[in-house]
Amino acid sequence: MKKKSLDSLELLDYQPNRYPFLMIDYVTKVIPGKMANGYKNFTNNEWFFPIHFPGHPNVPGALQLEALAQMLTVAITTLPGNKGRVTHAISHTVRFKREILPGERLEIETKVLSWKRGLCKGLGKGIVAGEVACEAEMIITIPEILDQYIPKK
Amino acid sequence: MNNLDRYSKIFLKSFKIKKEKLKKLKYNSVPQWDSIGHMSMIGSLEEAFNITLEMDDIIDFSSYEFGKKILKKYKIKI
Repeated sequence: MKKKSLDSLELLDYQPNRYPFLMIDYVTKVIPGKMANGYKNFTNNEWFFPIHFPGHPNVPGALQLEALAQMLTVAITTLPGNKGRVTHAISHTVRFKREILPGERLEIETKVLSWKRGLCKGLGKGIVAGEVACEAEMIITIPEILDQYIPKK
Repeated sequence: MNNLDRYSKIFLKSFKIKKEKLKKLKYNSVPQWDSIGHMSMIGSLEEAFNITLEMDDIIDFSSYEFGKKILKKYKIKI
């Protein structure tokens, strides 16, 4: 893959989630197997704001984490042979540091620490208005690859 | 620390088990030795012994005891 960024349509080839669960809008820079950065704009029209919470809308932590994981996924699915493959989360450790309110943009930075045999360990950071809103250590997998290395008993 | 200690320590740490269980330890015999645990343990072995296991050996690595035989192929005496 030669391109260094993916617009909102192009990223659909590398990220299987769709509205209303697609949590990234744009990939501003991707180095396959190394990193992926981009953003998600949270407009007033987001489906979860009326219910999380009435009178005090803010982005659910689970969806912030999802945004980080989806961006990390792009760093892996852009590697040769991985386009369109399904990924699964294995374990995530996340810290939330700031609320994200309607109208704000979440800048997402992810880094691959290791990628081997279908298993990816990585870090993600979400930044809003220059402040860290969430950080996570993540392990994701492409089961189709991982399963090739498992003892057959 | 000799090779056996290093080898055993990786299993003890990866699968959070007691030393007495090592001899009979097999893939899927404890909840922690699942597909993810397998890959994590293999990665630790590769790092500890500075080797890269071939795909067939990773698939065949189905028990603590059989793993010792596999490492012999890489000139690691356990």
